[in-house]
Amino acid sequence: MKRDVCFILNGEPVKASIEPHVTLLHMLREVFDLTGAKEGCGGGECGACTVLVNNKPMNACLILAVEADGLDILTVEGLSNGLELDELQQTFIDHAALQCGYCTPGMIMSAKALLMKNPTPTEDQVVKAISGNLCRCTGYKKIVEAVMDISNRNLGS
Amino acid sequence: MNGTVKKRKAGVDGVKNFEYYKPKSLEEARELLLKYGEEASILNGGTDLIVRIHDGLSHPKAVIDIKGIEGLSEITYDEVDGLTIGACVTLNQMGENPVLLEKFRVLAEAGHTVGSCQVRNRATMAGNIANASPLADTATPLLALDAMVKVFGEEGETEVSIHDFFVWVRKTCLQVGDIVTGIRIPNYGSIEGIYQKHTRRNEVDLATVCATVIKIDGEVHIALGSVAPTPIRARKTEAFLKGKVLTEEVIEEAIEMVLGEIAPIGDIRASKDYREEIVKVLIRRGLRELIAAM
Repeated sequence: MKRDVCFILNGEPVKASIEPHVTLLHMLREVFDLTGAKEGCGGGECGACTVLVNNKPMNACLILAVEADGLDILTVEGLSNGLELDELQQTFIDHAALQCGYCTPGMIMSAKALLMKNPTPTEDQVVKAISGNLCRCTGYKKIVEAVMDISNRNLGS
Repeated sequence: MNGTVKKRKAGVDGVKNFEYYKPKSLEEARELLLKYGEEASILNGGTDLIVRIHDGLSHPKAVIDIKGIEGLSEITYDEVDGLTIGACVTLNQMGENPVLLEKFRVLAEAGHTVGSCQVRNRATMAGNIANASPLADTATPLLALDAMVKVFGEEGETEVSIHDFFVWVRKTCLQVGDIVTGIRIPNYGSIEGIYQKHTRRNEVDLATVCATVIKIDGEVHIALGSVAPTPIRARKTEAFLKGKVLTEEVIEEAIEMVLGEIAPIGDIRASKDYREEIVKVLIRRGLRELIAAM
C-alpha cells in the first residue's frame, strides 16, 4: 500500500506517495528526477548514493523512501544555486578530481558533510571522510587535493 | 552490510512488496510483531535488513520501523546501573559520546570499525547484535564487558545476559514479538585493553577475525569473533591467566590455550588455518597491550 511522505528536499518541502519497498535512492531518481545520487552496489559498500540526511552522510540505497518522512535531505543537486556551482563542486572541476564521474556526487556529498562539520580538515580527516566512497578510476589523489584546497582556503581566511 | 559477493538485483523494487509500520510505542510494535509472526522484520538502522531484502535473503510481509518509539535513542550513565545505550542510538552517536569515549573506549572503538561513516550514521549496536553474525564487531566488547541486553517481551521489559543472547549463526534467544530496547554495560572501576579487527582492507569490510582483550578491575577478559558459530569468550584461557603475571611465556601458553577454545571455519574471507594464525597474533598483541598499560 502506498504511503505519503513529506520531507525537505534540497531546501524545499516536498510530498510523494510511495510503495514501502522503494528505496530513498530510487525515489530521488525516479520520482524527483534527481539522478546525481547513483546506484553502484546497492548494499552500502560503494557510497555512490551518498546524500545528506539532516546534514549527515548516509547511503540512500539503505534507506526506505517512507523513512524519509520528516527528514531534511540534501543531494548534490541542492548544492548549486541555479547554474552557479557550489565552491566544492567548482574545486573538483579545477582539480580535475573526476574521471568517469560516477562516484563524484557521492564523493562531493561525503566531503561536504565533513566541511560542514569541520571547515579546515587535515588530509587524514579527508581520507577518512571519503573512505566509504569507492572511485573505480582510482582518482583518489586529486579528490583529496580538491577537498584540501578548500580546507587550506578556509584556514587562510 | 553484507560482504558476500553475489549478483545483486537492480533494486528492492524487484522483490515482493511489504507493509511498512512505524509504531509509536513498544506495545504497539509488539502487537504488530505478534500479528505477523515470522513474517515480520524489525527495521532499525536498516543497513542489514535492506541489504538482505535487496539480495532476496529476507522476504518480510511487514517491516516494523522502531525509530518512532520514544526513549530508544538515548545514552544514559550512572554509577549504579552503568551505561545504557538505547536500541536506536547510531554507532556514530556512540563514537561522539564523552562518557563512552572516556569509560568504555573499547566499545566506541569496535563500533567505529563497522562499515563506513555513511553506514555508522544509520547502523545501531542493537541491530549489530540482533543479527547475531558470528563476526559482529560490537559483540566481542559486549561479551568481554558482561553486558546485559534489555528486551521488551511477554513480561514487559527484562534483561538478558549477552552470554545467553547469541544462540547460533544469525540466531538469538529472542522470541517472536521480542524487541531489543537497549544494551546496558555495568559500571567498572577500570577497563584497560583494546579491540582489534583483522580485515582484508582497512575500511568498509567485515572482520576476518576480531578480538577484545581487556582487563576489568584486574581480571583478563578475552572475547573473539568469527572463530565459532557465535562470538565467544575464551573462559579456560581467562581462568588460566587469573592471578598470573603476564610474561612472554605466560602469553605464549595462553595463546595455545585459546586455540583449543575456538572452532573457526574457512570461507570467502579466510581459511581456517589463516584464522587460527591471526587469532594468535591478536591475542599476543592484546595481552602485550595489557602489560604496557600497567
